[in-house]
Amino acid sequence: MSASSGARRGIFTEDLLDRCISCGFCLPACPTYGLTGVETSSPRGRINLMRAIETGALAEDDPTVSEEASFCLGCRACEPVCPAGVEYGALLEEWRDRVWTGRRRPLRLRALLWAVNRRARVRLMGLPRRHARGDGGGGGEGASLMLGCFERALYPQVSRAAKRLAPELRAPASQGCCGALHAHNGELERGRALASELGDRLPGTIVTTSGGCAAHLASVLGRERVKELSQWLAERDGDAPAVSGEPSRRPRIGLQDSCHLRNGLGVIEEPRALIARLGEYVELPSAAACCGAAGTYALLRPEDSARVLERHLDEIVAADLDAIVVVNPGCYRQLEQGVKRRGLRTRVVHIAELAADAL
Amino acid sequence: MATTTHTAMDLRAALERVVGATHVRDDAGTLLTYATDATPLERGRPDVVVFPATTGEVAGVLRVADERGVPVVPRGSGTNLSAGTVPQLGGIVLVLTRMNRLKEISAGDLVAVCEPGVRTIELARAAAAEGMLFPPDPGSHTTATIGGNVAECSGGLRALKYGVTRDYVLGVEAVLPTGEVIRSGGRLVKDVAGYDLRRLLCGSEGTLAVMTELTLRLMPAPEATGTGMAYFGDLADAARAVSRVLASGVLPVTLEFLDRVCIDAVEGYANIGLDRSAGALLIFGQDGDRASIDRDMRRMAEACEAEGATQVRIAASEAEAADVLQARRAVLPALSRLEPLTILEDATVPRSRIAEMVERIQEIARRHGLTIGTFGHAGDGNLHPTIVLDPADAAAMEQAHAAVDEIFAEAIAMDGSITGEHGVGLVKLRHLEAQLGAEHLALLRRIKAAFDPNGILNPGKLGS
Repeated sequence: MSASSGARRGIFTEDLLDRCISCGFCLPACPTYGLTGVETSSPRGRINLMRAIETGALAEDDPTVSEEASFCLGCRACEPVCPAGVEYGALLEEWRDRVWTGRRRPLRLRALLWAVNRRARVRLMGLPRRHARGDGGGGGEGASLMLGCFERALYPQVSRAAKRLAPELRAPASQGCCGALHAHNGELERGRALASELGDRLPGTIVTTSGGCAAHLASVLGRERVKELSQWLAERDGDAPAVSGEPSRRPRIGLQDSCHLRNGLGVIEEPRALIARLGEYVELPSAAACCGAAGTYALLRPEDSARVLERHLDEIVAADLDAIVVVNPGCYRQLEQGVKRRGLRTRVVHIAELAADAL
Repeated sequence: MATTTHTAMDLRAALERVVGATHVRDDAGTLLTYATDATPLERGRPDVVVFPATTGEVAGVLRVADERGVPVVPRGSGTNLSAGTVPQLGGIVLVLTRMNRLKEISAGDLVAVCEPGVRTIELARAAAAEGMLFPPDPGSHTTATIGGNVAECSGGLRALKYGVTRDYVLGVEAVLPTGEVIRSGGRLVKDVAGYDLRRLLCGSEGTLAVMTELTLRLMPAPEATGTGMAYFGDLADAARAVSRVLASGVLPVTLEFLDRVCIDAVEGYANIGLDRSAGALLIFGQDGDRASIDRDMRRMAEACEAEGATQVRIAASEAEAADVLQARRAVLPALSRLEPLTILEDATVPRSRIAEMVERIQEIARRHGLTIGTFGHAGDGNLHPTIVLDPADAAAMEQAHAAVDEIFAEAIAMDGSITGEHGVGLVKLRHLEAQLGAEHLALLRRIKAAFDPNGILNPGKLGS
């Protein structure tokens, strides 16, 4: 175990890095290992690279190290299959925190992070669009709806749909960004600080329509305070669901899991159960695998991102879906673009919109 | 230095001509990630990593290496637990995962034909889809390749009833280190033309030839599976129950045990309601048709009760069966979380001596001040004594090495083996002579030399 030999440089938390027993059970779960078949592009291989930069056996700006820090989708599909409980997502955040500093950070990324780094800018992004607003009518108590940063600008209809499903949710416009983008892209401290600020601004339960934000917020604020929308609706409604589809019309609907919602928070059944009430739920073979959006990945590595998406599109075609449901804005954009590129008849829809349409 | 660089350049260029530039990697990061397999602590440093796609390319790579006297270490997914795929003398790591075509599943001949890079679970699933069973199921079967499993003669949980990988290899195509392609066996159950080279290659740990196609025997799939569990006050009672089960005319598909240390670790980690006061847990199972499963499960439960089991449970549903099996599956993760380093061994003894062996292991653990959990395959005597410790603790590391040596010596003294299924690899090579004797080792070396006159294939391991 290289991590134990020689001095440590303190890039990684010792316990996190030591936990990997190198069994290799993560290899078949990893989308980038699936693309290349090269160990270096697998979670075990990347952990060996991390151990090497931790001990100084490799330089942290070694070309292979830099490439792999960037090539990894950060989907965390390796975590549920890991018998030793390695927190790969946390290790990746520490890795990027180290190697993506200053001028070594990709240019497009710097622009993106700048845009969402201040509350006022986030608010400004949402200004021209009509995202959900309002105090929920319940005074200061109760749950709040997180509007997201890019989601409020790109998909304002999602928060409006959520608000129709749950009018009691408060949705203040000046809530800022949750910091997931920062944490996943080399600004771990800033990412945590933004999550804490958002937690202060939205007291009580925070309901989100973005799986990626949910997992990051939960890692900072605790799992109890953060709920993904379908999860929260299931808890609110219990055995008396507020929405159900028409029995006469059962469209074929698939789901694209949000990686961090599934692998980070273990929210798997709730979105499926909701969809199954609204149509004929079809489990795609790769529903649980990353679609290639992976936060900023689709912008930073568009070609690799498109390669990862291919089999998902193949499966949508093979299943002849009427709709493919997403639970995260990045996946929304990724699938919309893919479906458009191929000219498919399948509609891409957020779970909030699908459910609100059935009201 | 200049000569070395010249040679390295020449080697790379020659390999590129065989497999194409994109399938030859020699950057520092890639070399580092192919320096190890799943064995803790052991690492080498390859000079180059090559990914061939065809038998012809494998032959080309081997000819390049043989001409230059460069070591070649064949490798699949790298789940080896005896450092068998660690390139400790450098040279070429030959990765066979691109050769992953499943060529045929034949219900008529009950065979599968595939390339070595197919993952074992993919083969098992493809067979299951056609109503057939590929029985060998080593713990790593989701990741490991069938080529690696054949090269290591992997075992698994079903060995007592179904045997090990060797029992399913009907035919192989292999490339000799000097570049010639041979075939041994094929689709026939009966075939005695020539020495049984396919069996010799099975378990040869990549030291004799590189297998490029495998013809594997399949079985008709059983209708269903039953699972149960029994607690015992101590392991000796569990061991007597195992003997009683086998004497009762039942050949179970599953017969696994956990010792006290493992039960405690699993419950501490997974919280699944195990009885921490128990001295041993026995998990038993049978497959087949419904009626015979019911009969065999009843007989096994009775045998456990007759030997003083404190509690016996037969799973009534699939979900309950999954709960029971979870206890077994959680052992390694649970133990591995106790300390940063996990040393997993696979000493094997005749099954009548399991209790004695586990007692000896516990005594060794006490004497060296170590935590050793022992679990494993009660039906075939294959034990997994697992030492957990902090590798930064130099004194503990020394104790651990001494404990492993003593465990091997005990196994050999009981007519057992230093390795039931993980292979000799690098880590057990120095113990091999104690088990086999000097004359036997000398014969292994002559066999190795007949296949590999220049000693390029996985050198420094079996047969070197």
